[in-house]
Amino acid sequence: MSVSAISIKGVNKTYEGKIEALKDINLDVEEGEVFGLVGPDGAGKSTLFNILTTLLLPDSGQIKVFLMDAVRDYKSIRQIIGYLPGTFSLYPDLSVQENLDFFAVMYKSDIEENMSLIEPIWKQISPFKDRKAGKLSGGMKQKLALCCALIHRPSILFLDEPTTGVDPVSRKEFWDILKSIRQQNITVVVSTPYMDEATRCDRIALIQDGRIIGINPPQTFINNFKGKLYTFKSENIFSLLKVMEQCPLNCNYYPYGEHCHVAFYEDMQEALPKFEAFLQEHHQTYETITPIDPSVEDCFIEIVTHSN
Amino acid sequence: MRTILILIKKEFLQVFRNPLLLSILVVAPLVEFMIFPFCADYEIKVLNIAFIDNDRSQISKDIIHSFNSSEIFVSKGLLDNKEEADEMMKHDQIDLLIEIPINFENNLYNNENTQIAVTANAINSVKAGIGTGYVQEIIGGYMQDFAAMHTPANMQAAISSANETAAQQKQGQRQAAAVPSAPIRTTNAAKVNISNIYWYNEQMNYKNLIVPGILVILVTLIGCYVTALNLVREKEIGTIEQVNVTPIRKWQFLLGKMIPFWLLGMAEFGAGLIIMKFIFGISVQGSLPLLLGITAIYLFVMLGLGFFISSVSENQLQSMFIVLFLFIVFVLLSGVFTPTEGMPGWAHKINYLNPMSFYIEVIKKIILKGSAFESVMTETIVLSVMAVIINTGAVVSYREASK
Repeated sequence: MSVSAISIKGVNKTYEGKIEALKDINLDVEEGEVFGLVGPDGAGKSTLFNILTTLLLPDSGQIKVFLMDAVRDYKSIRQIIGYLPGTFSLYPDLSVQENLDFFAVMYKSDIEENMSLIEPIWKQISPFKDRKAGKLSGGMKQKLALCCALIHRPSILFLDEPTTGVDPVSRKEFWDILKSIRQQNITVVVSTPYMDEATRCDRIALIQDGRIIGINPPQTFINNFKGKLYTFKSENIFSLLKVMEQCPLNCNYYPYGEHCHVAFYEDMQEALPKFEAFLQEHHQTYETITPIDPSVEDCFIEIVTHSN
Repeated sequence: MRTILILIKKEFLQVFRNPLLLSILVVAPLVEFMIFPFCADYEIKVLNIAFIDNDRSQISKDIIHSFNSSEIFVSKGLLDNKEEADEMMKHDQIDLLIEIPINFENNLYNNENTQIAVTANAINSVKAGIGTGYVQEIIGGYMQDFAAMHTPANMQAAISSANETAAQQKQGQRQAAAVPSAPIRTTNAAKVNISNIYWYNEQMNYKNLIVPGILVILVTLIGCYVTALNLVREKEIGTIEQVNVTPIRKWQFLLGKMIPFWLLGMAEFGAGLIIMKFIFGISVQGSLPLLLGITAIYLFVMLGLGFFISSVSENQLQSMFIVLFLFIVFVLLSGVFTPTEGMPGWAHKINYLNPMSFYIEVIKKIILKGSAFESVMTETIVLSVMAVIINTGAVVSYREASK
């Protein structure tokens, strides 16, 4: 059996004695996989990241990174991890090249030696290597930060919401880069609030209110979706939301972008006509109700509502 | 070693790319040296004075005349009554009023006590104090001459001064209480002549006190202020997180921050010494290596304090307020601009915690007095102990904050 890159057992973290940021976290990350930590803002993703990157101590529980204890052996762990924090945190008044040089020395690493690893990314930003890091565009900043985090060829790369606030094209590009990093046998742990990105991970952990509510490959989550999902367009989502509170059917309704999603837990032969009758009775206008495959977000919502 | 070198290089790159910081480093000392010593000056150069002569005698005329020979006093003339004088003082036209009573001459010849009232506008208490001092000196001098000419007459002239407080002046209750104080025994005074020699500062030049004081403030500012802002800035922009996940050790990081600012502080101090020598003509009387050595230690105290402050504060604003608060307390207690002798006992005790008060002692002793190591040994030891304690505290609190 292969060694777990990360093994977390029963980790708790409370801020200022009352805010429970993490509650009994248990998870394993396999070596060489892209592991996603998916959850809304405030779910505890960054806290878990800070603990894994040895920046924060857990209140209780055990964390092992390649069999090293995160509390006791934090110095050795820092040698083998790369970290891309949630906010841009390179020196804005140093140039691109100076930032890379600086972090190479901080990690006691050699740029030449590891150039092969960062080459594809570095090629894109090297035309600006004399520009101050603070003057780069958002996507460029992110690439530079990635170079700095990879310059010592880490065994694990942690990325805390790397695509938050990045445009869709750059986001796609960024995920392609992550795939290529993974091919270099680097384990990638990435957090994201975007559920659509979750499908790009090998496995994901859904996190909500400091608790992990499920760990699976994205497809498994989708296969395990219990309800029958339908989508339709409505003109007044808000009034529909109120009306749905009185719906006699066993279903779960929520707005999904500009559409409405309804997950039914009924025999659809009977339920669908009943549902349409219910909507008409309450004077709701809607377009055709069509069945749809669930996304990770639908799975997340199902798990959250069912656990309540 | 390579780690610390690149940290130092990074710090210098940042300093020289930060126009604001750079201008603070260059402009602050220039402004302080070029403006302060000329403005912060206790010397009184002009005193406006008026007289009320109720006696109209030869002696009273002579006394008033004797003020004309002084360069400091500018006579606003003889006034008729107190009301007129009050009005002039209210409008800041006169600083001092001298009232000679009726029968002044007669009383003098008849060997009776008599008084001259000196009223001073004490809104500026220093000016009032110095002004009345000068008046006593001039009248006393005149009485000496008078006594020498009239030896049989055993006369007393008492001069009293009533310093008015600002409050009284507002309410218009201006009264020159003519309480006899320190009567001058003219017969004795005629024999004893006091001549003053001021050691270590022969011309009683106030610049000799203030210029070394500015040197101290400069070193403190660079040491404490700039470093306190620097580390907390890394917290604000998040770079400290990125550095903390690297295998670099805490002490390496702190050393990499301290050395650049220590070097900058020493450079500023050197520049200050050069300005002091060539613009104010004050050269270091004592040993230069000793002065630099103790400054190096003092800088470490201030650097440590700066880092301590920045590791306990969340943002630059917080650390700025803490430094500002400490800085004012340090300056006021240290004796940089005001003598510490008049302070109450508890203030002296607080001063034992004030590194600036030890350092200003060293500066004054070595620069003005030319003292050797033996006379500044206590201060050196205290500053060294402070440096060790505060830096340990800084490392510990930095560790606590980032763990």
